[in-house]
Amino acid sequence: MRPRFRALTGLAVLAIIASACGSSAASAGPTSGPTTGPTEAASGGAVASPEPTVAPSLDTTPVTIKVWDYYGETTPIKPALDGFKKEYPWITVDYQALDWDSMNEKFKAGLGAGEVPDLATLDMTWIPTLAANGALDDLTAISGGQLNGTPIKDQYASGAIDAMTYGDQMVSMLYDFDTYSLYYRKDLFDQKGIAVPTNWDEFRAAAKALAESSKPGGKPDKYLTAIRPNSFHFSQYLYQDGGSLLNDDNSQAVFNSPEGVAAVDIQKAILDDGSGKYWADADGDLTPAIKSGEVAMFQDGPYYMGLLKSGVPEQSGKWAVATAPFSKQPGSYLGGTGLGIPIQAEHKGAAWLLAQYLLRPEQQIGVFNYAGAAPATTAALQSPDLTKPDPYFGGEQPFGVFLESMKTSRPFPYVAAWDDIDVAIADAMQKALLGKAPVQQALDDAVTETNTLLKK
Amino acid sequence: MAAAIARRFRGASAGYLLIAPALIVAVVFLVIPMVVSGYWSLTHFNGIKPPEFVGLQNYADVVSNPRFQRAFQNTVFFVVMGMSIGPLLGLGSAILLNDNLRLRALFRTSFFLPTMTSLIVVATIWKLMYADNGIINAVAAFFGLPGHAWLTDPTTALPAVVVTAIWQGFGFETVVFLAALQAVPREYYEAATMDGAGHFARFRWVTLPGIRSTIVFVFVIGIIGSFQTFDQVFVMTNGGPIQATRTIVFDLVDRFNKLDIGGASAVAYILLVFLAVLSYIQLRLGESRD
Repeated sequence: MRPRFRALTGLAVLAIIASACGSSAASAGPTSGPTTGPTEAASGGAVASPEPTVAPSLDTTPVTIKVWDYYGETTPIKPALDGFKKEYPWITVDYQALDWDSMNEKFKAGLGAGEVPDLATLDMTWIPTLAANGALDDLTAISGGQLNGTPIKDQYASGAIDAMTYGDQMVSMLYDFDTYSLYYRKDLFDQKGIAVPTNWDEFRAAAKALAESSKPGGKPDKYLTAIRPNSFHFSQYLYQDGGSLLNDDNSQAVFNSPEGVAAVDIQKAILDDGSGKYWADADGDLTPAIKSGEVAMFQDGPYYMGLLKSGVPEQSGKWAVATAPFSKQPGSYLGGTGLGIPIQAEHKGAAWLLAQYLLRPEQQIGVFNYAGAAPATTAALQSPDLTKPDPYFGGEQPFGVFLESMKTSRPFPYVAAWDDIDVAIADAMQKALLGKAPVQQALDDAVTETNTLLKK
Repeated sequence: MAAAIARRFRGASAGYLLIAPALIVAVVFLVIPMVVSGYWSLTHFNGIKPPEFVGLQNYADVVSNPRFQRAFQNTVFFVVMGMSIGPLLGLGSAILLNDNLRLRALFRTSFFLPTMTSLIVVATIWKLMYADNGIINAVAAFFGLPGHAWLTDPTTALPAVVVTAIWQGFGFETVVFLAALQAVPREYYEAATMDGAGHFARFRWVTLPGIRSTIVFVFVIGIIGSFQTFDQVFVMTNGGPIQATRTIVFDLVDRFNKLDIGGASAVAYILLVFLAVLSYIQLRLGESRD
């Protein structure tokens, strides 16, 4: 019997290699060196032009480009492809729909295996890691600084240009933007006579007045305010109190400042009052809590307008959006979705043609109309579609609130270790909000960890 | 010497031909990835730029990394808890099922059902059960007990995941132990009974020696499986809260997602060496008692 056990153990040991170390090997595949050759022009794309004013000449050799899109069912990209095919009949688009998590993993696994799309929707929070590893093509060369015949810098707000730029490279084209404002149940505010909060004190008081218990004398368990322990929300409060995550040259963390402590304190106070609902990222989307009435106020981006409409249609007319209350100044993180071309993409020219097509104002409006999210180009932002009264929000025009918020938003620092820093901040938030460590100590620990990461 | 080898090969050529397909598959999908991964573990490699040889730097970085250390502690906790309770439950249920119970087949199928169910499905169901308004808190409330945020509280998150893993895994252990129990000759029990042995004595002196090799098997396979825990953690807690459920394989995947393929490969090899040593010790212990 013993030799059989030995054999079984041997097999099991081999299995662990295959699934543990081998899994990365198998999915990463053979090494592909960086594609550093001239910008592709031969396989059907636009010729890279160093002169911004020179119109691209087109190679109409039939080509199929791969597009990976994490937008989901409400994607504005898939409906745009018929029009693109009519205009560029020699380009066939092999479109793959993925969800956010799958895209995050598949894209990175694909980089190692050399199996990448020609164009992908990428969360702007992934950009630091991707760009620092040289995974994304510098679009400066392929675009010649032009987007649909107009200088790129004239088509985006300056904050958006910052978000698209890593070092001296333009590594993505912002497709939709994300900046936070206050969502609240207007019907309950009206019913209870609560004024829309404009500062943190009023915010805390409004949360308290809004919360209710379903049992007489019980702990509040409905109409709560969502408190999210992540870097997105921490940075929002931090910026509002005048703080920063890192110093000016991104060499040191400074978020354990008094402003950082205040940013956590306000959220902790709402939880301690019993009027907050702690909702970690691992808890998933907030929609179920909104649907059940457990949450009646939260801060999030414009994409949530679409999520509310599709996920909680029965609450139509009950919600409103307002400028996020702040202590000293308005502020929010700036993120969103970028269109990126991997460095290993085979048909960069054709991919750039599609990217430009998707960034035309008439297509950008699809971001709002299909997904309920916020288009990123300034031309699209002037569309009357965005300022039409929205019945879901009681006939108001919530989009303007986000536009206003974008003016004071800033992207996360573009440092290579951002993914790990993001986790360090989220851990600090969780420690402090769950009472596992004093706020100052939690932030000090996270700053120490961040500084170690920045030195690598 | 060469001629002797050639003669030997000619004699067994049909055999080598028959195992060739399996051998090729094993080499291509197991041995080569292992070797390549071993090389990557000695390099800075992100999958895009060519690997840059750094010697044992990745291993030093991994071992000194607080998140890896936490992952290691969590995994050991997971293994100890899981392997303390799971096999006991499996053995207990197998002993019960070994009697001539009515509906034995139904119980056996019921116990084995979670093992056949997808890890993701099981983890999702348990995540819903652990939710604030899930069935576990509802049952607690029925008995007048306060609810608890099982997966949000760093103190209870890991034990909650362990319970899920035990629930899913003990059906496998039950079936394996049941097969072993049924292979123990009835005559041994009859002889022991005639010698005046009671239930416990029969279990101690007949059953346990009879299934010892199965016990070693269950522990070796179980420990290897527990050290590889990822799916439940990924679905239920994503390694949180505050890294309370981060496991070694979760750490590996996390590094891979950050394009640190060199570091991920180093973690895989550390896990391999650790498991190989552990399995060797277990087998030697099993052998020494034979």
